[in-house]
Amino acid sequence: MRNAALWLDKKLGLNQHTIAHYAWVIVAIAGVVQMVGAAIRMAFGVLVDPLVETFGWSPGSIGLAYALMSIVTALSSPIAGYLGNRFGARNTMLAGTILFFIGMMWTSQTQAIWELYISYGLIFGISQAMLLVPVVPAVAAWFRRHLGLGTGIMMVSWSLGPALVVQILAVLFDTVGWSQAFMLVGTIGTAILLFILLFFRNTPEEAGRQAYGIKAADKPLITSGNIFISTQQEFQGYVYKTNAFWNLINIHFLGCVGHAVILVGIIPLGISKGLGPLTAAGVLTTLSVVSVTTRFVTPVLADKFNAKTVMFFSFLGQGLGVLLLLTADSTLDFYIFAILWAIPYGGEGTAFPVVNRQYYGHSPMGATYGWQLLGAGLGMALGGLLPGLVFDITGVYTWAIILSAVFSLAGAVAILLLENTKRQLIPDWPEIETNKAESSHASGD
Amino acid sequence: MKFRTQSQQTIDSPALDGFKIADRPFLGFGLLMTSVIGTLAILIYFGAWASADRITDRAIEAGITKSSVEAEWWEKGLLLTCPLH
Repeated sequence: MRNAALWLDKKLGLNQHTIAHYAWVIVAIAGVVQMVGAAIRMAFGVLVDPLVETFGWSPGSIGLAYALMSIVTALSSPIAGYLGNRFGARNTMLAGTILFFIGMMWTSQTQAIWELYISYGLIFGISQAMLLVPVVPAVAAWFRRHLGLGTGIMMVSWSLGPALVVQILAVLFDTVGWSQAFMLVGTIGTAILLFILLFFRNTPEEAGRQAYGIKAADKPLITSGNIFISTQQEFQGYVYKTNAFWNLINIHFLGCVGHAVILVGIIPLGISKGLGPLTAAGVLTTLSVVSVTTRFVTPVLADKFNAKTVMFFSFLGQGLGVLLLLTADSTLDFYIFAILWAIPYGGEGTAFPVVNRQYYGHSPMGATYGWQLLGAGLGMALGGLLPGLVFDITGVYTWAIILSAVFSLAGAVAILLLENTKRQLIPDWPEIETNKAESSHASGD
Repeated sequence: MKFRTQSQQTIDSPALDGFKIADRPFLGFGLLMTSVIGTLAILIYFGAWASADRITDRAIEAGITKSSVEAEWWEKGLLLTCPLH
């Protein structure tokens, strides 16, 4: 293990760090936060039937709670990102954990549909944003270099985690009922979050450690104090003035519409083409599993090569690959599609932290990333709506497939219009000068 | 110029000194707005299509003409907004 670590260090050009770096603890915590935070979102489908049986509410009115939660999460993402920058990711996630607990407990005791809208739609929606948005910029702060590696590993855990938790929830719903399941997951989830947040540090500087990938000539970055707050506002003002800031929100929106159509529509589409429900579900599972590879590889490639090019090919592949569904009418066709399409799909959204680093250097990216997740969240909501809407009108999914392709390809065109990712768009974030002698000399400047 | 932090450390001169972005982000913002408008257009088109279908279905069910059907407010709105329906 040690030899492997030393080999990797040498390969990455690092002087002193091994794989046993605290940055990986932060990445692991980020994975668990995502697993807990996103679990109930992913398991919503399991919740619908028990609520229909218990209260007699229509699936449509229950589904509105999910739509509300998605929109609330999207709209509160920029605020959560700002709070992460201003008060630290740890404090923001702590507030998100408290909201998570309230949302889960209230949902478990809900007796009226309006309560579900507030507890699940509003409170859980805000909680999700506060848990999921600040954690990515915080991970980025732990990687002075090789952010692609850290992001890639985090993204893998993010896709595997919810898949695992959904299975656990489904078993719990069956054995103890939906209300008890929510109470159990709420209590255990909150306890896990509170425990792991004990080990979470917003920045290496705060933890008295060095960031991953730091070299001898690097100095620590400024991460606290009044200067941090004012400099951050000044930097963020310049970020808003770049074309890339607005275009990246647009690109994330377009990409998410493109794949949400498929993620929501692939099972009904498969069934409409004669696949059994289990086989159709297997197509979705296959593409989820295959996409894990590119979730890891894409940020690494984006970090090493030109991120713009890597993103372009992801979007292009996602847009063109979906057209395979136009002629798919057998199980084999669907599985070939799942394998081929999952490769670009996995890389669609995972390079954003790396692109932010390449454009904006080491400046805190909470607000910027929060805005990008606003675009992503609205894209996912719209993409989830389109297949059903289009099928209701036309009786086939052809238009939904074409729309998915159009949105992804529009994203690819928008990427071509981005600035070159090899050129930083604003100056780099200032470093702290730690040398006391130099410090006293400098104070006379 | 260097700044003194609260912990008596100094930071390098902020690189923003003298840095300016003169141009407004017309391209990026324009692309975002294009997507928003395009998306709304798609939603209006399919929404109007769905509205027209619903009105036709109700007309057939009631055995009356489409113009005699009392449309919902959102159906009317979508049909009014969409130039293709």
